[in-house]
Amino acid sequence: MSGEIDAVYVYDEHNAPLVEHVYRSRPPSAAAILPLYLAHATPRPSLLYLPGTTPPVTVFSIIQSNLLFLAVTEVDTEPLLVLEFLHRVVDVLEDFVGAPLLSTKIQANYDVVAQLLHEMCDAGIVCNTEPNALQEVVEVPGWMGKLLGGINVPGASTPSSNPLKQSLAASSAAQGPAIPWRRPGVRHTSNELYVDIIESLSVKMAPSGRLLSALVSGTIAFTAKISGVPDLHLSLSAPGGQQTLARKIELPVFHPCVRLARWRERPGELSFVPPDGRFILAGYEVDLLPIDPDLDQAPSHMEKLFLPAIVDIRKSLGLSGSDFEVRLTLNTNFPGQTTSSRLAASRGGSGTSTPSFLGGGGNPTGPVLEEVVVSVPISKSVRHITDMQASRGDAQFSPTTGLLEWRVPTTRDAGTIAGTATLRCTVAGYPSADEDFEDSLEDADEDANANLLQGYYEAPTSYNDPTAGTPRKVRDPSKRKKKKRSQPKSRLDLAPSCLKKQTTFQQKIPQNHFSKPHTPTPSSQNPVNTTASSQLPAFFSTSATARPTPRRTKAQINADLMPNSASVSFSVRGWLPSGIKVDSLNIDQRRSRGLGESVKPYKGVKYLCVSRRGVERRC
Amino acid sequence: METISRISSMLETARELTLEAAQSAASNRSSKPDYSSRTYSVPHIKKLLDSRHEKETLDGLRRVISLMYRSEPSLDFFSAVVKNAASANLEIKKLVYIYLVHHAEAEPDLALLSINAIQKSLTDQNPHVRVMALRTMSGIRVPVISQIVSLAIKRGCGDMSPHVRKAAALAIPKCYRLDPSTLPQLTGYISTLLGDSQYFVVGPAVSAFLEVCPEEIDLVHKHYRSLVKKLVDMDEWGQLATLRLLTFYARKCFPRRTQKVKQKQADSKPFYDDEPEDQIAQAQDEVGEQEVLVVDPDLEMLFRACKVLLQNRNSAVIVSVVRCFLYLAPQEYLVSAVGPLVALLRSPQDMQLIALYNIVAVALRLPKPFTRYIAHFLIHANDPPHIWRLKLEVLTIIFPHCGKHWKSVVISELEHFSKGTDPELVRESVRAIGRCAQADTTMAGLCLRILLGQISSLDGNLVSESLTVIRHLIQQDPASHRQTVIRLVTYLGNTTNPDARASIIWLVGEFAGAEKNQNIAPDVLRILIQGFADEPEVVKQQIVLLGAKVYLHHLLQNPPEGKTEPTSSSPSQGSTSLENEIRNEWTEDRAEGDKSVDQALQVQENDQGEIEAKENGEDRITLLWRYILLLARYDTSYDLRDRARLYKALLASPSSTQLANLLLLAPKPVPHAPSPSETRKDLLIGTATLVVGSEAGYHGLRGYTNLPGWVEPGNEPDPSLRVEDVKAEEPTTLEASMTAGQKLDKALREHQATAPQRRHKGSPALGGTVGKKNLDQWLDEEEEETESGSETDSEDEADSEEETDSEEEETDSEEEEDEEETDSETEAVHKEEQKLL
Repeated sequence: MSGEIDAVYVYDEHNAPLVEHVYRSRPPSAAAILPLYLAHATPRPSLLYLPGTTPPVTVFSIIQSNLLFLAVTEVDTEPLLVLEFLHRVVDVLEDFVGAPLLSTKIQANYDVVAQLLHEMCDAGIVCNTEPNALQEVVEVPGWMGKLLGGINVPGASTPSSNPLKQSLAASSAAQGPAIPWRRPGVRHTSNELYVDIIESLSVKMAPSGRLLSALVSGTIAFTAKISGVPDLHLSLSAPGGQQTLARKIELPVFHPCVRLARWRERPGELSFVPPDGRFILAGYEVDLLPIDPDLDQAPSHMEKLFLPAIVDIRKSLGLSGSDFEVRLTLNTNFPGQTTSSRLAASRGGSGTSTPSFLGGGGNPTGPVLEEVVVSVPISKSVRHITDMQASRGDAQFSPTTGLLEWRVPTTRDAGTIAGTATLRCTVAGYPSADEDFEDSLEDADEDANANLLQGYYEAPTSYNDPTAGTPRKVRDPSKRKKKKRSQPKSRLDLAPSCLKKQTTFQQKIPQNHFSKPHTPTPSSQNPVNTTASSQLPAFFSTSATARPTPRRTKAQINADLMPNSASVSFSVRGWLPSGIKVDSLNIDQRRSRGLGESVKPYKGVKYLCVSRRGVERRC
Repeated sequence: METISRISSMLETARELTLEAAQSAASNRSSKPDYSSRTYSVPHIKKLLDSRHEKETLDGLRRVISLMYRSEPSLDFFSAVVKNAASANLEIKKLVYIYLVHHAEAEPDLALLSINAIQKSLTDQNPHVRVMALRTMSGIRVPVISQIVSLAIKRGCGDMSPHVRKAAALAIPKCYRLDPSTLPQLTGYISTLLGDSQYFVVGPAVSAFLEVCPEEIDLVHKHYRSLVKKLVDMDEWGQLATLRLLTFYARKCFPRRTQKVKQKQADSKPFYDDEPEDQIAQAQDEVGEQEVLVVDPDLEMLFRACKVLLQNRNSAVIVSVVRCFLYLAPQEYLVSAVGPLVALLRSPQDMQLIALYNIVAVALRLPKPFTRYIAHFLIHANDPPHIWRLKLEVLTIIFPHCGKHWKSVVISELEHFSKGTDPELVRESVRAIGRCAQADTTMAGLCLRILLGQISSLDGNLVSESLTVIRHLIQQDPASHRQTVIRLVTYLGNTTNPDARASIIWLVGEFAGAEKNQNIAPDVLRILIQGFADEPEVVKQQIVLLGAKVYLHHLLQNPPEGKTEPTSSSPSQGSTSLENEIRNEWTEDRAEGDKSVDQALQVQENDQGEIEAKENGEDRITLLWRYILLLARYDTSYDLRDRARLYKALLASPSSTQLANLLLLAPKPVPHAPSPSETRKDLLIGTATLVVGSEAGYHGLRGYTNLPGWVEPGNEPDPSLRVEDVKAEEPTTLEASMTAGQKLDKALREHQATAPQRRHKGSPALGGTVGKKNLDQWLDEEEEETESGSETDSEDEADSEEETDSEEEETDSEEEEDEEETDSETEAVHKEEQKLL
């Protein structure tokens, strides 16, 4: 009734059934479900209802490392429950057979997979998904062999199975676990604690370059390899002190081990008894651009926002308007990285004084900007892109995905990576475009107008609607440029400047008009008269009987092929957009058990900012 | 919350490379999977299974399991595997059990042979072995053993180890499926387990309850408070089941009570209360009094426990809490849950989709709190269609509730996407603009300006979509949109899309023909007639209709008796002069043509002597009308001919225009385009049916149940049943207020409740804490009881609630009809005519 999973199926890269585990009743087999699932066009929603099977089933799907995981249920089940379960299955499988999940690994460990799936869900009711608890009941076979180099499993947390543990487990089973997420009797020869804070940045910019939104979603991943039952205390800090931190970290969610009361009392302090191994401690988000929803005016002042990479795009360039230029601005002057902290960072990891445990590849002198890729979605009507000239890096266009990808190298040997790089492309549409797109003439024209004339916040100049006055008033002052480009004009100046722009535009691209004198553009530029007669000339000139096929100029056709957004992906090691830092990570010796006083665990902190096509510029 | 695997993949860049390498490796040998190293021949595996060495047996079992998972025949090994069921080795046992559960159905007789060994394991010293044995035994799908399983569960319920009790709880649904006749015993076990002191036993027990006997809420009463208290400590899956149970329970056991509170100022805005239940409150609000929900302390306890869960890592738990608040709690609770609900958009894309469906469902009822998180709903360039569709919907729902700044941002966003290249996205954006304009009239002008730019686009769907939206806007406020219609006419010259042309012509006839001084309709008609023959049929129909309307207006403005020729013909005269300016020869030609047509008419329509007589003095509009009729009369389409004939008959006598007036100039209902998910509004959030929508059929997916209505005051179970320690005597006041029937019911219930309670009294600590609380709660409940007795008017309210419910549905369906009507307006007009005739 609430959560019932009939079966879990896993398919490999070639969509061949890999694992078939039926929990209850007789759902359609994996082979029978797959064609029905694939019949839906990609991208497929995560919940599909297949009324055609007997019995009709609901199929939930996730795709993880090229493997397709399906859960099948016959009755109405909470979809998020099933999806969460599937994600847990993935996590647990990675934990046991090694990450990343590969079909060969699963095939080599069918008995482990069978036990895990059997344990995690009992006859359709999800019951045990804690990795620590599962390690209690599921043995990974041949760990001896693994040690001797048999199966190559990068054992992130291979349980140490020995007879001693067996008896310990038995005793705990008798009373029930004191801490459900931590297995008892953990022993590690080297005690280690690692905190990884990963923030993924999502920024949207208007064509004018103005920021629309800047959201950060953060995750604190924790790795605890520590003996006994430690009680840990992690405190976070942000520039501006505890008050700003409490305000900054919005909508947090926590692993069940975190003491919520402590957090509520003193935000930023996490007190917990960790599970053994790797787990997600908390998730949160930060709004870098808080704007009051009830605001009537555009915000007059905004918090300064630093972005390591900004992308801009200019369209309809060149003689025939078939070029566009992508401009990428990289900035490595990370705020909050003063010289002193850089020195500290060069000594060890960033944040705490202990060295960063995964910072091997990077340069330890400060945040490292890496993997800069600009992606530009290209319209389907573009046949191919000729002549891609990048000032740095190389660009690739794949017509199947419709994505232009421009990788910009950020290795240090080329000197500083900050600065501007450009990519200029020429698009080519299909040869029959002239005939095919005749109807879209106006559209293209509008497009060109809109894109060159008006950003989001410029007043409409064309249509004199009586009600348009109110919003325009609002929009005018909100026309603000990005902080980099200072806008020297006062508000009063704005309207004339718009007009000026318009006139220059008309001079610059006259061909937009000469070929089609009958388009509404001319009439739309002067206010509509109240008399009907003034409207009629435009109407007359094209009689309905012989509608001439309007000829389009090259520029108009090409305007239709222009991209209308660009986004940049990157990752920065050692810097977080929110400015959150790990202040301290301590073991509460009084509350901890089974850990010697003398043991000083090795601690490591790592910060990572990831933007997966996250900084997006509309244009 | 992100999953470990996703975070690890972000951290480890090498991971991608490994995956790619594996992919290529897999594709290299995709033809022949490499199992040879681990598979042996059947006899060899059998030999391994029969081996005396545990290691070899284990090896053999592993091979069998691999075969089983690879869907290769593994049934042959049944007897060889089952032999090992009695093995003392835990590993071997585990694998044998997995094999047994999988294959028992195919070989019931052989499976029965293993029952003995499993039964023996039920009494093993190691609790793990007992758990496994219980699990396996209940999992074997052979109905004959149902009684044995039931006994095993009974024993499991009293086991020392909580793990075994948990396994017992999980075994209950399996036993029920095996043999439904065991239900009475099973409900007894459930009752025991619901009272277990261990939170991780209670969770599965609740799951079992939901599956086996969800209607028996009497079992829950005395465990209610302990369930609420354990809610925070349970694992997430237990929390999910418990939240579901308690939400249903609350509807059945806590009557909705409201209390009138005087309020000087209605500070809660009307849009807050879209929920049918709240409409009563809203009505009261206007009078100056507000009804405030009176929450039972027991229910309040649940809400407070739920609030803690809002920081749970499991997205399903968040949605369950939101569901509980949405359907049960006063609004402030729901407002506090909006943020965590929006935070689910941080999760992977597959979960985002589901979260968005739930967000839309909640936002439809309570849009205001979502405005704080509006930035989360901006569309990302790589959002798949099912995601952006929902994001657009959320944006339009919360649009009227934001400040002007965000409004202009949203409109600009929509404008941006309406100019994109993805036709679907373009169309949805246009619709969204229309919904925005509809929801907030102050922004309608801006929206209209944007839409007008779309009319001459390349995509036919887009054009008709834009026009539909424009038409809706004009129809909502015709007075201020005269200029818009005139502007649309100019598009007629270069728009080739038939639907668009038809739509514009209809608009002209509807809104541009009425006034004398601004009448462009005759002119438009005149010009359209020239190309009549080449127009598609939809357009022709509209032209004829336009002609009829123009002629009718003409007749109305110049009744045939009083001959006020000069004023009436002034617009057409004006246009004639204009026409002369532009194309002289054309118009002359046409004028001549008209004359000849008139002559033709003369010949044909001899019977209409009256009109014929004053042919020379006739004004142009009448001539135009005749000409149209003539053109239509010889059209190839019978439908068009029929229509023309209808209009002709209708307007045959210039003196009687009443019927025609009724038919042609009837005010049209103002269309309203509801949010696409409006149809899902009544579905329970957090269910798969909500996501699947109407496709799931009228009753939703199998197993879907909506929440029951609030129990009527007076019919609810006695609150004292929820007191955990059963007291010997009842307060006299309570008894006095009860009817005899109620007393009897109560006595029965108590009897049921006390029996299992006494059997299982394992939690002295818990009982102690409860005992302390009891007195206060008792007092509270007493008060409530008397309250409910005195409140008679609340029953009426419940009735009216239902009424508003059904009314709401009706209006919903009506709206849909309206929508259809306007979409195929021509058809609808036609139908109307037919009806009237």
